[in-house]
Amino acid sequence: MDVSQYLEIFIDETAEHIQSLSDNIMELEKEPENENTVNEIFRAAHSLKGMAGTMGFKKMQHLTHDMENVFQEVRSGNIKVSSEMIDILFQCLDAIEGYLECIKNTSDEGSEANEAIIAGLNRFLKKEEGNDEGTPGSKETPSKASGPMDAKELNTENAYERKYNNIVFNDTEKKSLKVAADAGLKLYGITVYIQKECLLKAARAFLVFKEVEELGQILVYSPSSHDIEDERFEFDFSFYLASDADLDKILKSIVGVSEIENAVGEEVTLSNYEDISESEESGAVSQSQSAAPAAAAKTAVSSGSKQQPAAKGKTNNKPVTNRTVRVDIEKLDALMNQVSELIIAKNSLVSISATESGSFQNQTFHEQIEYLERITTNLHESVMKVRMVPIESVVNKFPRMIRDLSRKLDKKMELYMTGEDTELDRTVVDQIGDPLQHLLRNSADHGLESTELRAQRGKPEVGSINLNAFQEGNNVIIEVGDDGNGIDTETVKAKAIERGLVTPEQAEKLSQKEIIDFLFMPSFSMAKKITDVSGRGVGLDVVKSNIEALGGDVEVKSVLGEGTKFIVRLPLTLAIIQALMVEIRDEKYAIALGSIQNIEDIPIKDIKYVQAEEVIHLRGMVIPLVRLDQILDIEPKEEEPESLTVVIVKKGDKYAGLVVDNLMGQQEIVIKSLGKYISNNKLISGATILGDGEVALILDVNTLM
Amino acid sequence: MAEQLEVIENERTQYIVVKIGNEQYGINISYVDNIVRMQKITRVPKAQSYFKGIINLRGEVVPVMSIRTKMGLEDDVFTNASRIIILKLEQQGAFGVIVDEVKEVVTLGSEETEKAGTVGAKSGKESFINGIGKNGEELISLLDINAIIDEKENA
Repeated sequence: MDVSQYLEIFIDETAEHIQSLSDNIMELEKEPENENTVNEIFRAAHSLKGMAGTMGFKKMQHLTHDMENVFQEVRSGNIKVSSEMIDILFQCLDAIEGYLECIKNTSDEGSEANEAIIAGLNRFLKKEEGNDEGTPGSKETPSKASGPMDAKELNTENAYERKYNNIVFNDTEKKSLKVAADAGLKLYGITVYIQKECLLKAARAFLVFKEVEELGQILVYSPSSHDIEDERFEFDFSFYLASDADLDKILKSIVGVSEIENAVGEEVTLSNYEDISESEESGAVSQSQSAAPAAAAKTAVSSGSKQQPAAKGKTNNKPVTNRTVRVDIEKLDALMNQVSELIIAKNSLVSISATESGSFQNQTFHEQIEYLERITTNLHESVMKVRMVPIESVVNKFPRMIRDLSRKLDKKMELYMTGEDTELDRTVVDQIGDPLQHLLRNSADHGLESTELRAQRGKPEVGSINLNAFQEGNNVIIEVGDDGNGIDTETVKAKAIERGLVTPEQAEKLSQKEIIDFLFMPSFSMAKKITDVSGRGVGLDVVKSNIEALGGDVEVKSVLGEGTKFIVRLPLTLAIIQALMVEIRDEKYAIALGSIQNIEDIPIKDIKYVQAEEVIHLRGMVIPLVRLDQILDIEPKEEEPESLTVVIVKKGDKYAGLVVDNLMGQQEIVIKSLGKYISNNKLISGATILGDGEVALILDVNTLM
Repeated sequence: MAEQLEVIENERTQYIVVKIGNEQYGINISYVDNIVRMQKITRVPKAQSYFKGIINLRGEVVPVMSIRTKMGLEDDVFTNASRIIILKLEQQGAFGVIVDEVKEVVTLGSEETEKAGTVGAKSGKESFINGIGKNGEELISLLDINAIIDEKENA
């Protein structure tokens, strides 16, 4: 057994605790008097400390210990929460996150001791003279300092039963005890109690065994060592030890392990338990009868005392049987790939069954194929669902970020978020954080005006930044908006001319969208001065390319003086989509069904011209026509047919009509990447393999409008 | 046995000899993943001109380039002997190159190869080979795979 096997759990849980701390500290800033919040923070800090200690991350433990001390004082009402304190606490969180990052990469916490932060924390404690209970230095029993609540509850000796007396030995155990006794070693029976808040009980037990085994040899475990490793025990475990050290020393070394509440034990002689075991063997019936109620009473006691802290803190009511499974994302990827293969195989069966000449014109065969189709579609959906996670895990760090920015930029602002529960594919969620963060920073820095300017313009003093997420068809939309100044297209235009990107004459003709697109060009920064928040010119272009790499796109809406809104559109799935297959001359293309609005047959004479562009007028809407053959460099048709097949696609509130030659029907397609060699082709978002083995390209309609 | 040991010491490399136009080229066998017959290549619009398109290689989409276009030779004429050689580079994944014919596999020792630069230094093709091998009377230009996938175009 080795602590490293807990590393993953540790990393996950630490991240959760950091998030909970962050949320609660934000809360605390708003309501400094809220006792629940303080308790919640205290608990999270305490758990963090415990876990860090268990894993042997001393510096992290030290830092969290001091944090905990501060909250101990806040909780007992000795210190008032101040904004200075909140700042320090956030620094602590950052430091802990730093440790965590380091641990993730190297399995080691690194060397940063964060003395300044610790000193900062201790200043709060020192201010409070006369109450030095929690100051560092009196660190020898952190369990007591940190958990007086538990100590009060359980400080009576009778709470610690000598459970080792209840161990029933089997033959080999008896033999080993005898051998040890014959060798002249002293035998001890010991029961160890672990604190009820302890999160990694097995790791604690492991540490206890490690301590003890330095002094002697453990002969009998109860529960079995295997059960202890797997954490199949309540809050105590017992063992028999053969050692030549004296009892006090052993017990002391056990209690020295953190989060160990107590250890009781005594020296036993061989006859002593031989009697027990013998009498148990002889009078097994009576013994076990009397033992059974005793054991029942014990469990009642332990479960009774367990319920109290459980009722107070929701953190440690772990269900005995887990209803969820943690799965490595790679395993899901493998599963997804196999589902993709299955769908390709199914598609080729479908295409065989569809060929008229085939010898498979059998009713049952068709029915079975349809059945198979239904199953693969459902299977695909299930696998997709497994991979979906709410974007919450990404966006919940943003309130904190905005708060920090608000301080740094000296602007008042508030972040309003909706739709945090919107779900996206795990891979997308993992990568969407940076672009969103960038957009928010952008809103905070460039979007919102300074507080004075806002006052002059008659806007509310506190600027608002919105982050809204929702699903729309096959896409998930994330909007990042602000009620700031909006994009001043004239300034952007001037800048573009200054940079030599356009001539003044060209600039006059540019639409608002074209001007805004300049902002997405590499190293085109509008910031008048470079701050460390933004303005280095690496920004929106990176955002755009990141989002496009995920198969999504960014759109900007801006009204001067009223605000800007960035609309990020992301595909719901990355791997398999429903698509309409179309034919243009002899080439086949797939168009994602999610973006298709409807399909129309348009007579040539209905085509109208607006600004020399072909448009159609359809049910009150003017829709631009896109001649796919021209865009895709396909040989033009020799003669124009009388009517065109037009696929109307939709992106947000924009429409476009794609002219195709033929419709081939709907199909479930597996998206494959074109690879890195072929230069980034915006029109084509990928390729797919059709049932007959042919490769068809997938059109990215978002780039067509 | 003794002979084999010597072989290793001599750093002998195996090359697949292919014909492109009138010239024979050698491709280091360690890069070759597969050799497949000509099949339908799906054109990719707006791609680099030397990329013919993509093919389906047992369920994987693999880009295929025309080494002729890349070298500035006349366009490929596909015959029965045409083959697509699938090359695999560790980082970027697989891609295919079209060749007129696959002839044989030869093993060349270091004494039978000459570093590039000694011959034909002014030719444009120079940048795609990193050496010349002598197989008896025949000369084989040894292709530099990394130069082939480089973005530069000679057309």
